[in-house]
Order: sequence, then structure tokens, then C-alpha cells
Amino acid sequence: MSDHIDGPRQMGDPSADLTDLFAFTSPENAARTVLAVCVFPSAGTTAMFSNAVDYAFAMRRVTVAGLGDAAKFEPGEEEIRLSCRFDNLKRGTAGGSPVQGGTCILPDGRTLPIVVNEEKGTSTPDGVFRVFAGLRSDPFYLAWLVPGVRKGPNLLLHDNVLSIVIEFDAGRVLDPGRGSLFGVIAETVPLKPNVIGLKPPRIDWVGRPEQTNIRLGNSEAGPVDLRDLWNQQTPFAIAADLKPVFRERLTASLANWDMRDGVADWTPTALAVNVNVFLDDFLLFDVAKPMTDTSHLEIEKSTISGRAHQTGGGRTVNANVIDILMTWLVNRDREFLQGGATAATKPGTNVFPYLAAPNAELQTVAESVDLTAAPDAVWALIGGFDPSWHPLVAKAEMTGSGVGQLRTIETIDGKQIIERLDEIDPSVRFYRYTSISGIPASNYTGTLGVKPKGGGSVVEWRSQYLADNQPDIVVRAIVSTLLKSGLDSLKPRFGAAK
Amino acid sequence: MTTIAELECAITPTTDGEIAVINLESTRRRSWTRFFEDPTRDGVAETVVGHEQLTLQFFGNVSALDRVEALAAQLNQKDAVSARVALVLAQVASMAHRFSDARHYLAQAEFGGAPTADVDRLRLNIDQACGSNLESVLDARRRAATETNGSEESVALGSLLAGLREFDAADRIYKQALQAYRDVSPFPIARVFFQLGLLWGELALEARPALAAQWYRQAIAILPTYTKARVHLAEIYSSDGSLHDAEALLRPIVNVGDPEVDWRLADILAAQGKFEESEARMKAAHSGFESLLERHLLAFADHGAEFYSESGNDCRRALQLARINADNRPTLWSLEQVHRIATSADNTAAAFELASVPIQR
Repeated sequence: MSDHIDGPRQMGDPSADLTDLFAFTSPENAARTVLAVCVFPSAGTTAMFSNAVDYAFAMRRVTVAGLGDAAKFEPGEEEIRLSCRFDNLKRGTAGGSPVQGGTCILPDGRTLPIVVNEEKGTSTPDGVFRVFAGLRSDPFYLAWLVPGVRKGPNLLLHDNVLSIVIEFDAGRVLDPGRGSLFGVIAETVPLKPNVIGLKPPRIDWVGRPEQTNIRLGNSEAGPVDLRDLWNQQTPFAIAADLKPVFRERLTASLANWDMRDGVADWTPTALAVNVNVFLDDFLLFDVAKPMTDTSHLEIEKSTISGRAHQTGGGRTVNANVIDILMTWLVNRDREFLQGGATAATKPGTNVFPYLAAPNAELQTVAESVDLTAAPDAVWALIGGFDPSWHPLVAKAEMTGSGVGQLRTIETIDGKQIIERLDEIDPSVRFYRYTSISGIPASNYTGTLGVKPKGGGSVVEWRSQYLADNQPDIVVRAIVSTLLKSGLDSLKPRFGAAK
Repeated sequence: MTTIAELECAITPTTDGEIAVINLESTRRRSWTRFFEDPTRDGVAETVVGHEQLTLQFFGNVSALDRVEALAAQLNQKDAVSARVALVLAQVASMAHRFSDARHYLAQAEFGGAPTADVDRLRLNIDQACGSNLESVLDARRRAATETNGSEESVALGSLLAGLREFDAADRIYKQALQAYRDVSPFPIARVFFQLGLLWGELALEARPALAAQWYRQAIAILPTYTKARVHLAEIYSSDGSLHDAEALLRPIVNVGDPEVDWRLADILAAQGKFEESEARMKAAHSGFESLLERHLLAFADHGAEFYSESGNDCRRALQLARINADNRPTLWSLEQVHRIATSADNTAAAFELASVPIQR
């Protein structure tokens, strides 16, 4: 999600908001190249593509026009373009979810019909192109807390995105004999002009990760938000009169990033070269060289350092792009900066479409009961982590005390449940716990709180989980019964409020 | 005056309303999951509130207010003193028209160092909703609309101008917003169409229902589930005798939970002689309004007043609610509502008596 919500304008329609662009060698066939783009940050499980947007990749052959302090990548004029457009929804089978179709337009003008979320995708009859479009687990991970350089958890945990994956025969599509180094961008553009023919401006585009949010959008480098202005530039052809504006911002931003660890690793000259390279924003990849999980930005770095690049650069699904970028900006590869996470929620796979299957939506069961007794009286009974007050508990054994305490519960029907206390705050009568075993669910967390209401109190008990090896409905019934029967048992003890 | 046909030519095609609605619901649910995972993370609660505002505004899903109140309660419990939380609490209070609470939280947020732009934006919204400091609000709105050229700022300015009875100026601002719009989300466009309908159907001193109906139809064409637009258009159809058209507009949205849908449908059914269903709908409307007023009195006092002054048939209750609303936000419109309801009683004495009913909350 390195480009997500990268300007006020993207917040309008999340399905047009680009998050990440990838270019890598196909894990299934080294002769094929894969381009992938993600849109719709934090998409829910029912997300669909906009039918008013052209989702496109544009590739240009690039030459290394200078090394070292003269480092420069020059894109050619010829553009190889792949774009996808999506239809209105159609009704699925009776009672089923709506279905969305679309069309991929190939560089030679041929079209390939696609059906959103069809796992195997669609291929052209000659097998040159294969296309997938649909919901996937977000392959991006970001585990730094800004400002500063502080490790944190993966901020995109359990997130999904809509993605378009196009795999093609690199030899036939790119003709690498004429040059194997390419720059690629992805863009979202309103599909149709209005009736009087006025073409609306581009909504979003992305080249290298984090051009907008980390580099141009660095608020410590300037107060004015330049991200929408950047997004409306034509890729491969930034307006000459605006280049000084973006150059000034990038210079201030990269200087600021350099000093985030308190050490100046970039000389003014080297910083200016780096700015020049990032100003030409396209994702570089070389189909004649290996693209690996660690080769991202190697082409740029080698060229700036005055030597020929050794890898295919690009960006694989599992590339740790944020840490690679942070390390380069903050200490110029003096010491690798590892964020607080080492992988996305689900790593990419070696099987088309290479981005992992979407994450299931966490299920929530929430129950509450209004009681006539004061909150403190109710909390005195249920506020300890000991669940012996619960009518479905035959026996409970407590291990340890405070946060980290375990409760081993034997239910009246003989099942064993083990839960761990994660947080407790008696001052607000609240605790949070995690299920270790016993409930057919993963990522299970529960919260229980007692609050004043009217002259009495309300007890709120909530659980969130992913069903594991059981249908959602079965797990929901189990959890709901546990919560509801527990809360119902409080009514005769404390009086049910009317 | 720019015609609808001319505007249609200038507007960029937007994402199909059905897709936009599915995506909003999808992202709304996901934002709640993220909130439950970590309620204190920056931006998460704000995102939920934003999604719930859209849900309330466009789908008439009144339980959105219950949900954001629950969010506020949870945030308040976890982190009562941070500026960020105070700002969220102010947003939620403002959404529920608890403007006094909103100002209190806003002051807390400002004291705690919340971003000035965010504080100022919300304060402006509250001032406008309450009819306070209108001259400075108007200046600020004009400035924002000029600087950003965004539809949100234009709608706010247009709405203020309409409230100040500058109807032609409001019309002009709304149409400029439509012409300037270059995005693909249908929500802002649908909202401007709705505002134009409201302007000429409800606010203008001499209503132009045919013109208003055109704007409401445009809003519904862009966003078929736009509950408020359907209700207002159904009212116009109903008043000109197009009862079947009015009924057809309301049937698809009877389950959204907005008692106004039940009320209007009950009236239409009664006019068609379908008294049994009409009665059931009117009962649902009555209990729906009372339930809402019990939970969110200030948010629905004006709607409740309208209901009780018409088909709800309880002038005393209507006036009580209208006065609560006017006390909470003494805008020109709300004061006129009090006056209208008081004087629409059977005779002057009753009006006088009703007008002196003490405000009770």
C-alpha cells in the first residue's frame, strides 16, 4: 500500500486509488514477465472495480544516459500499454453475489475478456498474455512509525486490495533485443470524457513505491500538499515548468530523511543526483537480468554509484521495499534498517496470480446486557479474569496473575478452552483477552467491559475471530452462546434494567 | 441559469452507483474491523466516522449514529485526554447534533494541540449548523470554496447561502461545483444534485417542485439508493397525484430503518385507499420516530417535529420537538419551523398555549 490515499483526490473513490505496482520475472516461467498493480486500500471482501476508470500499465524502454553524478535514465518515446476496464455488475446465480466482468486491452489492440475474482485468470489463445483481476491479500507491509524511525507492527495486517496481474511472454511483447531495461508506471484515468469532450485529469499514477507519501508528501519538507499535483502529471513527461517545484520538495524531503538517524550520509552532490533519479518516477526493471526479492532499487543505486547494474531491479511481491527504501534514504545502505515486520500478512506465492488469496474478514459477535446494579458491584463479580461466575463453566483454573495470566476453562459439556489476559484496566472496568485453544477460530480476541448506564450499568462483551476449520455460522453459534448465556446469568443476580 | 441538459454535458461519468454502494459498505465494514483490532491507531476511528457519515447521509441508515456513539464510548474509555480522541468525539457529537458537547470536545482538542485546520473545519461546520457567527462563517466558506474548488466546500457554501435566502447565489455555486467536478466517485455529485432539489423544492420562498423533481431524479440516477432524494421526490410526486410513482420510489428503501420512509409511504397508501397497510406503516413510523428521539433527540428533533405536525397528528409534541431543535441550533429555518407549527394549530389560543410549552429534554 505504498501509494495508498496519496492525495485528497484519491479519497473520493477508493477503487481508483492505486496502492502498489510490481514488476518481476514469473516464478512459473522465467521467460515471462509479470506486472501487477493494486488498488483500493483496506478493501472489504466485496470490493469491486470502478466501471468509470481505465486501469493501465505503460512501459517504455529506458537507456542509462549517465552514471555517477550524471546518473540519468532516459525513457524512449514508444509506449507499450496494457489496460483494463470493468463493467457494471451483473446478477450472479439466484441469491448469489453480483459478478463483474471486464476487458483487458493488449498492446496490439486485441481485447481479452476477464471475470473479476476468477482465480485462474484468462489467457489469450496464443498464450502470450494471461490476466487476473480481483481481491487478494495486500502484499505490502509497512512496519515503521513516523515521524522518526521507530519500528512498529505491520500497519496493513489482514488488509486486502483489488489487484490486476498481467503475465506475458517478455520476448514477444518487449523485444528485449532492442534493449532490456524498461520503466513501468500504472495509472488510473477516468474512462470517458464528458459529453463536450473534455478529458478529465488522471486520478492517480504510481512508479516506484512511496514517491508521493514518503518522498513528496513528507510534511517536514514543506507545508503545501503537492501529491494531487504530482498525480496529475503525465508519467514519463513531468511538466517542465513544475519540475523545479517537485525538485525543491524532493531535495528538502530527502535531506530530511537523511537526518532521521541524526547522521548525514548524503553529500549535497549525491543528494542532488538521488533527487534527479527519483524525479523520473518509473519502476525500473531489466528483463535480461535476475529480479529477486532483494533487487528492488539496485539499478538506481548502482547507476548513482557509477557502475553498471547487476540485477533486474523491479519489484517482486515479497520484496521488502519499505526497508530497502528507508535504508537507502536514511543511511545510504550503511546499515540495513529492518522494520517491525519481515513479511506481509500472507507472502506471495509461486503460482499465478502470485498474490496470496484474500484474507477472510474478521467476524464480530457483540452482546450486552443492561443491569440495575451499579458498575462496581457487577465488576466485582466478573472483572477478575476468573470465569467461575459463568453458567457454562464447570471448572476454571488460573495460572499466573496480571497481564499474561492464563485461564483454563472446562465447560459443562466437557470442552477445554484456554485464554490469555492481554490487558486489564480496573479503573474503567475493562479487560481484553486472546484465545489460545478450544474455540475453532484463529485471531480470536475478546473484550469485556462494565460501564455506567442510567442509574445502573451495562456489560458489553465482544469477540472477534476468524473461523478455523468450521463454517462461520458454527463458530458464531458457539461464541454467541458463550457470551449470551454468560450475560443472561447476570440478570437474576443484578436485576435486568427495563 | 444553466440547464440540467447543459450540466449533464459537462459532468464526468462517475462510477456506477451500485458499485459505489457495495464498495462503501465493504470499506465501512473493514474500517470497523481495523478499529476493533486497534482503536487507538491514528486515523482508524476517523475513517470509521467518515464512512458512517456517508452511510447516514446517502442511505438513511440511522443506526450509523448508534454505531458512532458506541465508537465514541469505546474511545472515551480508552484514551479520554488525547487531542485526537477529543476531535473524534467532537465529530461524533456534531454528527448527532449534540453541538454543545461538540464544542466542549473541540475546545479540549484545541487545547491538546489538535491540528488547527481540523479544529477550524469542524468549528465552522458547527457554527453553520447552529446559525452562529454567520458573517465570519460566510467569509471562511467563500475563501475555502475559492481556494480548493472542491465539491465539499462548494456544498457547504451553497447550503449556507440557501440558509441566508441567497437562493440564486446558492444555485450558481452548486452548478459551479458540478461543472468543476473531475472525479469518479458518484457521492459528491449526487449530493450536489440533492442540494439543488432541496433548494428549489424546500428552501426557496416560492417552491418550484417541477425543477426540484428534476434535480432529485438526477441524484437518484447517479445513486439509486439515495434515501433522502427518494423521500423528497416521492413527496413531490405524491403532492401532484402521482401516487404510484411515489410508492415505487419508496418501496425499495422501506428496510433502511428511516421512519420518514414509513411515514411518507403510509400517506401515499392512505391516499390510494390501502388503509390497512397504511395504518401499519404509520405505526412503524410512530414507533420509529420515538425510538430515534429516545436515542438521538437532538439529531431527529426537527424531523420528529415535522412528523408530528403533519401525519403524526400531535401538535403539542411537534412544537415541543421544534423548540428543542431551535434551542439547540437557532437557525432561521428552525425558528420558522417553531413559528409555523405553533400557528398551524387550530386557533390562536392554542398556538399561544403551544408556544409557551416549556422545552423539555
